Amino acid sequence: MVASNFNWLAVFLTFLLAAVLELLVMPDVLVPLRPEWMVLCLLYWLLRHPERIGMSTALLAGLVLDLLAGSYFGLHMLSLSVVTYLVLAMQQRLKMFPVVQQSAVVFLVTGIHLMTVFTLRSTLSVTDGSLEYLWQALSSAVCWPLVIILYDRLVFALR
Amino acid sequence: MQGPYLGYRLLLAIILSLALLFVDARFSQLNSVRQVLNTALSPVQWLSDLPNQLYRGVSFLFTSRQSLEEELDLMQARLLVLERKSQKLASVTAELNRLRELLNASRLLEEGVVVTELIGASPDPDHQYITIDKGLADGVYAGQAVLDAEGLMGQVIEVNEFTSRVLLISDNRHAVPVKVNRNGVRAIAYGVGSVNYLELGNVPDTTDIEVGDLLVSSGLGGRFPKGYPVARVSNIEHDPGQPFARVKAIPLAQLNRSELLLLVFRENSQAEKEVSGPAQENGEAP
Repeated sequence: MVASNFNWLAVFLTFLLAAVLELLVMPDVLVPLRPEWMVLCLLYWLLRHPERIGMSTALLAGLVLDLLAGSYFGLHMLSLSVVTYLVLAMQQRLKMFPVVQQSAVVFLVTGIHLMTVFTLRSTLSVTDGSLEYLWQALSSAVCWPLVIILYDRLVFALR
Repeated sequence: MQGPYLGYRLLLAIILSLALLFVDARFSQLNSVRQVLNTALSPVQWLSDLPNQLYRGVSFLFTSRQSLEEELDLMQARLLVLERKSQKLASVTAELNRLRELLNASRLLEEGVVVTELIGASPDPDHQYITIDKGLADGVYAGQAVLDAEGLMGQVIEVNEFTSRVLLISDNRHAVPVKVNRNGVRAIAYGVGSVNYLELGNVPDTTDIEVGDLLVSSGLGGRFPKGYPVARVSNIEHDPGQPFARVKAIPLAQLNRSELLLLVFRENSQAEKEVSGPAQENGEAP
């Protein structure tokens, strides 16, 4: 268990990596399948260190997402705080799950995040009403094991 | 940590976010905050463009001399063709301005352009915008028109210190006033969220628009400069049950491919008055 090795540098670097991945220019085919890297990063830290990472980190990550996406302030902050609430509430069970089962939860949680963002956005301005954005929840779930492995390595190296 | 207070903290976070949302959507006070924070985030922007730049650098390293020479020849030929076209343009513009003076109309404004490079695209398939590598430091302002080699791309919506954000004409929040180049019929081209086509709004069934017509920016609305090509009409549907015809047009700019773009700088409105003033006086004198 990686309970003891917590430092803020690792948190900062992983979130930076997620932000960069978020903006990475990808081929057009892959754009609808872009995983929600910031959400995955937040989920990782919520599961590993729920005693340090919580609502305030979620709000900060949401603010960064708002800036990167050019959306209204508060949009991603709201959805990420809902995500944080859900994950912290079931954190005790969630961290005992095997990775595949965690992936299923990641699918649901990312889906909730995307739906919140989409609903808010369509009330505030115009969007086309397709449900295509839910592919991103699927790709996030698929990337979850990868994120766990990569971030565990990274955090271990920075310890 | 996740004790009985978790629910309260969620409530607090939700209230905070909703308050921010409300303030940001209704008032413009937060724009300066956004500008500062975005400038602080520009390293992220730069880092995310790094793989692209590396790829370009490496592929340049491995380009053979021969293909470079071929490219150079091609460029020179193209330059010659364009120069021949612009030779005539200077005299035609002068003549046009003389004629406009006779007609008591204001002189055509000269527009300067600055080349800029694309450094990022919208991560969100729902939002059509790009990020360019010029900002406040280079004199970019919100509302500025952006072109590529083929046609109108969009307009600057957010300026930061070193980068700015450009809303593409295909975004579903965007509309351009256009006119048909052939006969001057005016219309408005709406983005629909797809880079493949725009839609013309409120076109009566009897309007003289044909497939293949070139749509150029009309300059009405004062946002976009006049006369830049925007799109070509690709499809017209007349439905007797609908009050208006459904006209689709394909944007001429390579909205999802262009990497080198042009920022159009217009003389400011002060200069516009100074130019148009004497022209009118000249016209009235005789």
